Amino acid sequence: MPDAPADLPEAADRRLGGGPFTSGLSVPDFAACLQMGLEPVGYVQGFCVMQWGWYGMNSPYRQALGPYGGGSSGYLENYQCPHGMVSAEHRAWGQNYEQTWIEQAWGQGFADASHRMIEEATAAGAHGIVGVVDSAERLADLGVLEFHLRGTAVRVLDGAPPPGGRPWTTYLAGQRLAKLIEAGYVPVSVAAAVSSVRVWAYCITEYQLGGSAGTWGGGPGVSEVTQVASARMAARQIAREQVRSQLDGDALHGAQMIVSEDEVGEGDQEIQCLLRGNRVRRFKDFDPVPVPRPTVRLG
Amino acid sequence: MSDDPQELPEATAHRLEELEHGLFTSDLSVNEFLLIKEVGFHPLGFVMGSSIYHTGIQTRRWGQSQELTKLTEAMYNARELAMSRMEEEAAELGADGVVGVRLDVNYYEWGKDAAEFIAVGTAVKAESGVSHRNALGKPFTSDLSGQDFWTLMQTGYIPQGLVMGTCVYHIAHRGLGQTLGSAGQNVELPNFTQALYEARELAMTRMQDEAGRLDASGIVGVRLEEKSHQWGSHTIEFLSLGTAVMKTAGEVTLPTPTTIISLDN
Repeated sequence: MPDAPADLPEAADRRLGGGPFTSGLSVPDFAACLQMGLEPVGYVQGFCVMQWGWYGMNSPYRQALGPYGGGSSGYLENYQCPHGMVSAEHRAWGQNYEQTWIEQAWGQGFADASHRMIEEATAAGAHGIVGVVDSAERLADLGVLEFHLRGTAVRVLDGAPPPGGRPWTTYLAGQRLAKLIEAGYVPVSVAAAVSSVRVWAYCITEYQLGGSAGTWGGGPGVSEVTQVASARMAARQIAREQVRSQLDGDALHGAQMIVSEDEVGEGDQEIQCLLRGNRVRRFKDFDPVPVPRPTVRLG
Repeated sequence: MSDDPQELPEATAHRLEELEHGLFTSDLSVNEFLLIKEVGFHPLGFVMGSSIYHTGIQTRRWGQSQELTKLTEAMYNARELAMSRMEEEAAELGADGVVGVRLDVNYYEWGKDAAEFIAVGTAVKAESGVSHRNALGKPFTSDLSGQDFWTLMQTGYIPQGLVMGTCVYHIAHRGLGQTLGSAGQNVELPNFTQALYEARELAMTRMQDEAGRLDASGIVGVRLEEKSHQWGSHTIEFLSLGTAVMKTAGEVTLPTPTTIISLDN
């Protein structure tokens, strides 16, 4: 077994150093992996606790202020009030902007946790990590976000070492992984990115979200909330571009996109789009699977 | 109550006596029942064990991340007592093991610092008469469903015991100086990363040590649960659970899966 990395906790070092193997796989996934010639060697994990969500005077947020408050780089869209009114209550301008500093911090937290998980797998002499699960959750009331990646490190029976000695990773396990290989692809790594777009609502958006667009918005009562729709589309597009930049010509399999929004003030929102999937590479031609047998459940 | 089966409650003794006469109770679904029969086991009865445990208090340092060893011991011992009493009931029935074990913790209004730990499952016995008890001579325990039990048996592994490890950990509060020191930046806090890493690894290592005592070859279905119970958000119990398994046959006998297409809606 290779030497354990120096920064692994003593307990992890001891756990991965010997004794019974640990596996986070369900029994059906465990059985399917054995059948594929993948032998579990240990449950591996990686963490990264990041300070999160507080922006002071020295923050990248403040440093990157654009003419209307938006970032100086990335997606930016301005909205002008059509009414020509000047009043403290009237939102004469609005803006959608990409929060690149949040995206970068998320990327760093995920990458560090992933790297540490792979370090554990390398220490255990694994070829890959299957059934990866990731989470990024707030911890207690500390204003921190904890990135946690875990999975089951496996060794390919009679298999050559992974390219570059770095174990591959995948969210798939069991029969889902078997079907991928059957289709002619091998897993390379998990790929994930988050995009973050802040919506600073202008008067029309505020009226639309408040339900009074027909009276004050100058348009029909039922219409698209253009500023929010545009921000959501941009968030999806940015996340897609970020994941695409990680693929390096490979394909993305089993992609999952989760869009969430937090209200950060009246009409103002923070839209986050998480896109994750499996980076896979073709290694053989597709073998058609056996013709499926039609079944009818009697229960 | 002690470890002595003679001291099982009267109602339990009566229920077990009925079970010994052939009537069985089980919380298995019909499908699970059929699959357990298919691999040569027969359900003997629904078994359980419980322990009401006073979890006590332990001083925590406001600004220091540390394991709360007294609470760790309390949480471990309470579950262990519930598990051993369930095993006792299974042993009374002459069982080889217990499947579908569930471990729950309940809190009641009448006991603020007390919690009831309950372990329940279905005792099973091999129809062949060959003993499948674990290396300690006790009925094996497992949280596997009937379907999982069948699948595991096909792979040449047999459960040895539901193994667990726990670690109750206090996460330090951040002082004003620490907070201001990194204000305005989304940066890693390495001390917190390392502390939480250590806490989870301790739970996992303790679980692995339990499996080692059973001479197991591995642990499947490992899961890490995190709960603050009633201690506030800065004190977390990391509980690691899984089924220790032992390799009994060299060959994997699982049949090649068939592709199907459902004609149901």
